[in-house]
Order: sequence, then structure tokens, then C-alpha cells
Amino acid sequence: MKISLPEVRHDQAGFEALVQLFARTQDCLLGKIEIDMVKTSWFDGDMCAAFGALLYRLGSNLNNVVLSNIQTPVERILSKNGFLSNYGRVRIPDTWGTTIPYQRFDVKDDRFFASYIEQEFVQRPEMPKMSKGLIKKFRESVFEIFSNSVLHSRTELGIFSCGQYFPKRHRLDFAVADLGIGMKRNVNESLGLNLTAPAAIEWATSARNTTKTGSIPGGLGLKLLREFITLNKGRLQIVSDNGYWCLDQGNAVTAALPFEFPGTIVGVEINTADKRSYALSSEVDETDIF
Amino acid sequence: MSKTLTISLLEIVGSPLCVASEDGQKVHDRISGAMREGKMVVVSFLNVTSLTSAFLNAAIGQLYSEFSADEIREKLKVHDIQPDDRGLLKRVVETAKEYFKDPERFKTAKRIAMGG
Repeated sequence: MKISLPEVRHDQAGFEALVQLFARTQDCLLGKIEIDMVKTSWFDGDMCAAFGALLYRLGSNLNNVVLSNIQTPVERILSKNGFLSNYGRVRIPDTWGTTIPYQRFDVKDDRFFASYIEQEFVQRPEMPKMSKGLIKKFRESVFEIFSNSVLHSRTELGIFSCGQYFPKRHRLDFAVADLGIGMKRNVNESLGLNLTAPAAIEWATSARNTTKTGSIPGGLGLKLLREFITLNKGRLQIVSDNGYWCLDQGNAVTAALPFEFPGTIVGVEINTADKRSYALSSEVDETDIF
Repeated sequence: MSKTLTISLLEIVGSPLCVASEDGQKVHDRISGAMREGKMVVVSFLNVTSLTSAFLNAAIGQLYSEFSADEIREKLKVHDIQPDDRGLLKRVVETAKEYFKDPERFKTAKRIAMGG
């Protein structure tokens, strides 16, 4: 089977291109799938998280996946971030240090993920000059996203991440994708509801809502992320099943994608020029917490 | 026998990155064990660089299924916590109180906490 992939940007159209790819290949077993990238004139690095998740799933069905006709600029970026190392290409050095490498994790890899963020972002001198408060918020945000996948996705195939820094635009994009049960099933099973995928995402990102049961409370991670991204004037995108949700400049929009993604993708775009201190809660006294 | 147990997050987690729910569970088990024995507990956040709500929910939020807010206020103290982390912990505590307001949830959680 040969499938042509259009350009993949980190926006609704980019996600649509990927779910279309999944729709056409999801039933393939023990086959050869050639993804022809001659028309892929652009590929945002952070989208490797979702793309890698899909290709990994195809591989888990014992398919042989081949990426062909990759245009030179796309090949360069996907080689720098280590993505193409998984598909028969040699990794090339990231001279300008604009990539946070593509990586697959298992659900038990919280610490490994934390070290990866430290080594590949926080401690790298080439990364953007961001205020200390902003770096801390960014780091915590991506940990919250990863924790969310660990706690809710029930993925058996792993969690995938990748990031890209765009220095001229002062933007840092980072995405985490899992191949789990998705928010719709999670929310509907927990609450006995029948929400659509976009409605389930909206529910999960709204104040105090949680699907958690048992002795450990939940329901804060995505809200903290939403608050931070609003203050930072960044962007937060979530794709789960056929739901698409985007928070941009404080406004949230939802849409239904034409096909499903077999899990959840959370993508953040940080405004790296943000000078806010983020020490907003200093008025809380140590003796007044409990 | 000392009446106060001091817990260093850095020592228990083994890293300044307190982000994993599983690590939070280890912290919780120590706090809970000591409080059940009637001890005062001081949790030191010294040298911690990152915290997540997932970690704090497991470490501290969960205590509200076993102990009353008054008991926690009386027996649990935090030290050397950065101002913004203090804000996050306060949010986690408020969320936990809200979460366990549901009596069914509280009953189930208490049963789990008691190992039943």
C-alpha cells in the first residue's frame, strides 16, 4: 500500500492529515506501507510525536513501514530530531539546537521523561533565553501532560514526544501523544455519559472535572496547563479520537476531525518572549496551606 | 522517641524532580504512617526544582481521604517550599477537599487507604 502525505503543520489541517493516514492504514496487518512524502513540503518537528505514534502502531501490527521521497529540508529536520533514525536514516547533529528530540516512553518512564526534559531542554545553552519562572512553568507543564497520559491513557504501546523551537517567532512547540483509550471513552465510562469527542475534551479541561476515582484526587493538571497557556498567550491543542480542541489567545474552539486518532495528543506552544515572573501565588503563607 | 518526623522529598524521590505519581505515593505512605502513630510530620521541599499536581495529589491530596482537615492542619507542616510551589500545593489541597466532599468517594477512598 502506498499513501501520499501532504504537508504537516501543527494545526487542525496537520492533525487531519495524520488521522487520514491512520484511517487508511489502521486495518493493515503484516503488510508493507509506503508513505510517500514527495508532497510533504513542510513538517513541524513537534508533530513527530503524533506521527511517530501512528507509525509505531502500524509496526505493532507487524507492518513494514517505509518513508519515501522525503524532501531535503524535511529530511534535515526529521534527522536532526532523531525521528528518522527509527526509519533507516542516520541522525545528523542539531547545530542550532532547535529540536527537542523525538522519543518514545513507556508509562513507567516518568523519571526518564523528566531527565529527558532536563537534558534536552533546560540544560542546553542553545535553547531560548526564557525567564526562570517561564522555564519552570514550561517544565512543569510538560510534566503535567506526561502525567496525564500515564494516569489516564491506559496505553500499552507507549507515549511519544517531540519538540521544536522557532527562534524568529519566539515560539517553542512541544507535543506528547499516547496510544491509549482516548478522552471520550475515559470520560464516558467514568461518568456514564455519551459525550462526543470534542465535548469530552472540553469537559476534561474545565475546572474541577476529573475522571479519577479512588483515594488519589485528580482534575488539576489540564486546568493548570490551560491557565498557564492563557497567561503566556501561547496555544494549547488537544486531539483525542475525532475531537479537536484548541486554546489560542485565551479562546477555546472545538471541532470534529473527519477520522479518529487512536489515543490522545496534547501540543503546547509557548511564547518564549514572555517576561512574566509567574510567582503569582506568593501571598499563600506556609501556615495557611492545609 | 521523637514526636516529629522530618521527611526530605529529595531523599525519598532521589531527584529534585518531584513529578511522578508513584514517587508521591512513597511520600504519602511515610506521612500517613507517621500521622497514624500520632506524630507531627514536617515535609521539607529543600532543593526540589519541579513539582506536579500528580505528585502532590498522591503525596498530600490523598491524606484527606484518611484524616480530617483539622488533623492535617495540626500535624502536617511544610518547610522550604518556594512561593509558587506553595500556591500549587494550596490548589491541590483545595481540590482534594472538594474531591472528598462526595461521601461515596470518601467512603471508597477510606476503605482503600485502610487496605480493605
